[in-house]
Amino acid sequence: MTTAPIPPTPAHVVRTRWLLGIGLVLLLALAVLALVTMNLPTWSRVQSGLARNLVPLLRGFVNPAWHVFELASTSMLETMFMAVIGTTIAGVIAFPLSFLAAGNLLGNARFALPGKGLLVGVRTFPEILLAIIFVAAAGPGPTAGIMAMGIHSIGFLGKIFSDVIEGIDAGPNEAIRAAGGNALHVFLFSVVPQVLPEFASSLLYRFEINLRAAAVLGLVGAGGIGLPLIQRLQFRRWDEVSMFLVVIVTFIIVVDTLSSSVRRRLV
Amino acid sequence: MALPDPNTVPLRPGFASRLLNWSTWVVLVGLFVVSLQQTGFDVEALTSGSQDFVRFFRRLVPDWTALPQIWRPLLETLQIAYLATLLGTLLGLPLIFLASYNTTVNGPVMWVARSVLTVLRSIPDLLYAAILAPILAPGPLPGVVALTIFTMAVLAKLASETVESIDPGPLEALRAVGAGRNRVIVYAVLPQIAATMTSFVLYIFEINVRASVVIGYVGAGGVGFLLLRYLNFFDWGGVAALIVVIFAVVLLIDLLSVWARSRLI
Repeated sequence: MTTAPIPPTPAHVVRTRWLLGIGLVLLLALAVLALVTMNLPTWSRVQSGLARNLVPLLRGFVNPAWHVFELASTSMLETMFMAVIGTTIAGVIAFPLSFLAAGNLLGNARFALPGKGLLVGVRTFPEILLAIIFVAAAGPGPTAGIMAMGIHSIGFLGKIFSDVIEGIDAGPNEAIRAAGGNALHVFLFSVVPQVLPEFASSLLYRFEINLRAAAVLGLVGAGGIGLPLIQRLQFRRWDEVSMFLVVIVTFIIVVDTLSSSVRRRLV
Repeated sequence: MALPDPNTVPLRPGFASRLLNWSTWVVLVGLFVVSLQQTGFDVEALTSGSQDFVRFFRRLVPDWTALPQIWRPLLETLQIAYLATLLGTLLGLPLIFLASYNTTVNGPVMWVARSVLTVLRSIPDLLYAAILAPILAPGPLPGVVALTIFTMAVLAKLASETVESIDPGPLEALRAVGAGRNRVIVYAVLPQIAATMTSFVLYIFEINVRASVVIGYVGAGGVGFLLLRYLNFFDWGGVAALIVVIFAVVLLIDLLSVWARSRLI
């Protein structure tokens, strides 16, 4: 028995390999360029910074500062309340908006363009940037943070909601119309029941994101656990910083686990 | 006909599920009310409490003479986002395969990898930046490190879900001819996930651009530092110009990335 010779590599595969290689080289060259032109600190500065700050931070994890545990937990709870309000407000406003951004219910995909554009515009602003602006406009506090979170989430939820609406089955709509129902009946008894589980699931998902966002809003003065945390960072109280980190991480992991188990049952 | 007899189909859900429905609503509304009280949320404080709010936005007229100052930090912002995305992807690659059940070394390793990723992911990017800025000297370096860690964690999570849902056929075929784990990953797994992975990386790049715009506020380099300075000096023209520029850049990168991603999958 003779073995067949290995066929030569097809031309298009060779071409793809070349293109991939060139692409990778370009990516790396750009990275080197970015690194070289960047304003980096000297190695000795980094070393001394690590010795002075990282070591106490890590020591704080082994030997946590329990006296700030209560403060950290109560401010984390306040952070969660901020996320609850922000997500609720966003959900309530995004619900009607999403119907204006869904092409299938408006009759013509073109009618949905203004709604889609509005949502993209809202989504583009990073929420921390919004929070910074609101703090400058209305003073520090949770209200500024909640508003920032709420507005940014409208863009996100509106997009996901309208995607869900565009994906619904048109059959039940037609059935209700054929049985003599009007547009309101179609909306109440076909559209809403079809989209509700997905809406609830994306609201929960956004709540998870907002909880993380709310934990850092305080860094710019917009309420929540970030404010006591940045004070401790400024005074280099590393043992207390590690306690705060432990509380934040534990809280977020617990909420994430609960929320994703509920989401799995919803959809 | 397999249609159920309309007379035997219950018209409304049973008592238990109705109770669950109602109690869910009661709990949610209760949580909302408690939240309102605990945070002291007050929209009126924003609008009527002081006319400052309206006056503030009326002052936000872009002062385009600030532009020459903006370019350099803006470029640094993009450099941070780019470097972090690239480094995070490279460092995240091995973690992806360690955290997926069909490519991992063994159970305990997978468990450790997943736990580390979960913990890393639960810390928001801005918080990494705020902690690393004093440690690694204020400037772009803590920004790059912060976003690299974030990229690694998010990418590994997203991509390991993709890896776990790929077609097992090619993997088995390679194993059957005696390929080791690394060969299986290179020749059976990577080709299957390449397009999705690229799409994830672009998506994370979008997130990193947004993040790198603000991390300067806590001392981690980029355009956020300029924003802090303008705000502290009440330079509203500069603030407005900066906001417009940030908006335009983020929107442009988003649109490009969405376009590229729509062509990938």
